[in-house]
Amino acid sequence: MKPKIVAKGIQKYFGNVLAMKDISCTIHEREFVAIIGPSGCGKSTFLYLIAGFEKPSGGDLSINGHPVGGPGRDRGVVFQEFVLFPWLTVLRNITLGLDIKGVGRAEAEEKARKWIRLTGLSGFEDAYPSTLSGGMKQRVAIARALTYDPEVLLLDEPFGALDVQTKNYMIRDMQDLWLEADRTIVMITHSVSEAVLMADRVLVLSSRPSEVIADVSIKLPHPREHRDPALRRYEDEITAVLSAEVDKAMSLERQSAIGRS
Amino acid sequence: MSSETIGIAGPKPAGAVVWEAMAAFAWRFGAITVPLVAWEAAARLGWINVFLFPAPSHILATLWTQSGPHGNPPWAIPMHVARSLVRLLSGLALAVIVGTVLGVAIGMTRWARAIFTPLISALMPVPTLAWTPILLLVIGIDDRTTIIVVFLAAVFEVIYTIVAGIEMMNVKLFWVARSMGATRLQIFARVIIPGILPYLITGTRLGTGYAWRALIAAEMLAASSYGLGFMIYDASEYMSMDVIYGGVLLIAVLGYLLENTLIGRLEAATIDKWGVQGER
Repeated sequence: MKPKIVAKGIQKYFGNVLAMKDISCTIHEREFVAIIGPSGCGKSTFLYLIAGFEKPSGGDLSINGHPVGGPGRDRGVVFQEFVLFPWLTVLRNITLGLDIKGVGRAEAEEKARKWIRLTGLSGFEDAYPSTLSGGMKQRVAIARALTYDPEVLLLDEPFGALDVQTKNYMIRDMQDLWLEADRTIVMITHSVSEAVLMADRVLVLSSRPSEVIADVSIKLPHPREHRDPALRRYEDEITAVLSAEVDKAMSLERQSAIGRS
Repeated sequence: MSSETIGIAGPKPAGAVVWEAMAAFAWRFGAITVPLVAWEAAARLGWINVFLFPAPSHILATLWTQSGPHGNPPWAIPMHVARSLVRLLSGLALAVIVGTVLGVAIGMTRWARAIFTPLISALMPVPTLAWTPILLLVIGIDDRTTIIVVFLAAVFEVIYTIVAGIEMMNVKLFWVARSMGATRLQIFARVIIPGILPYLITGTRLGTGYAWRALIAAEMLAASSYGLGFMIYDASEYMSMDVIYGGVLLIAVLGYLLENTLIGRLEAATIDKWGVQGER
């Protein structure tokens, strides 16, 4: 497998606070990698660094061997809070990437059709985002990111803003979509079950200042079944690492609070 | 919300709804007509000085004559109204264009914010009319003077609402567009302009109200032949009280129509279609 995204010793400061100590990892082509970690560990920030929205304070980050300069068409992003254009219909939101590129309307719609079908949005093309439920909005955001055909898909807690029922349904419903998309996918999540069900590989980040503390490959075929005992073993393994980290972070926080008082 | 409240209380009978609407209309209609009728009666009965307070019927008759070929000059009212509206619309168009460009620059770039924010804060409290003597000296009695007054009266409100609109926009909308490879120009045309449009219309509506008031005042100082402000000022020279009152009435009615009906409708339609409330 060819390396697609290579991070070497990434550091990130916010003001004087060191948020990332040393994030190093290699994400390969067509790999689905989930990144998980305690809240506040900078998972989303790492995704924004890959997307080019923010710049690392130190270290090297490259895609296809080229250092990341800024955002670009080779990376599509899906945010937790959907971020649709409220003045555009579902169809126009989805074709926006191609419209910006100057692709003709008919061709853009033709390309969009496939992703509209796979995300289950058929019949909603002319609706405005404000009329859709959260789950439907996220389907639009996913279809929009895939339609302009980026090599890398970046998902920032894509199901984080949805209620549990919608989220579980979406995760099951979209398993085929990721197979069909067949590209490098990086997903930020705080749910271990979500990560093991969807991803080929799970990276666990430590609490702040963060580094990679576990790298687990999920060697199970897709689509996966929640009740599969093999999947459960992976889930337990990652949960153990994560809870130990959370315990450590909490006790450190408590100690420093006591020390201060 | 309102439909929910009705749902809880049980639907009201259709008759009651119609009755309430009629009562509301009667109150509003009465609030304007009762004083007018009293004025008319007082004038006819000789209780008030009809030179200073001519009867409303007399004022309307004057307006009617002045609107036709027997006015002095002929077609006076339409000419005055047209000239005022031309000045208003020219000044407003200028304010919308310059205000949008400056507002977007201030909202999006650090340097424009650093340069323009103190300038605007310093200039905003100056009453627009205070500029008129300067403009009169620099430009003279000319349409350009009144148009610039309209521009100054409206432009700050436009800038202010646009900056507020940009601050309300989700920064991730720009991120999405940049991920799609949008150029600066494409971001301006496809993200910023549609994103601020409801704010732009609100700013224009508020600016129109200020501009209309400023224009009438400026026309008293800086118009030589036509315009509603000029008409009132000119009439006072000849002590034509009926023309003065007619002018005030026209200014009130036109101001209301411009601000509430024309731009108000546009504003409501945009907010409705954009669904801005739910999606920020």
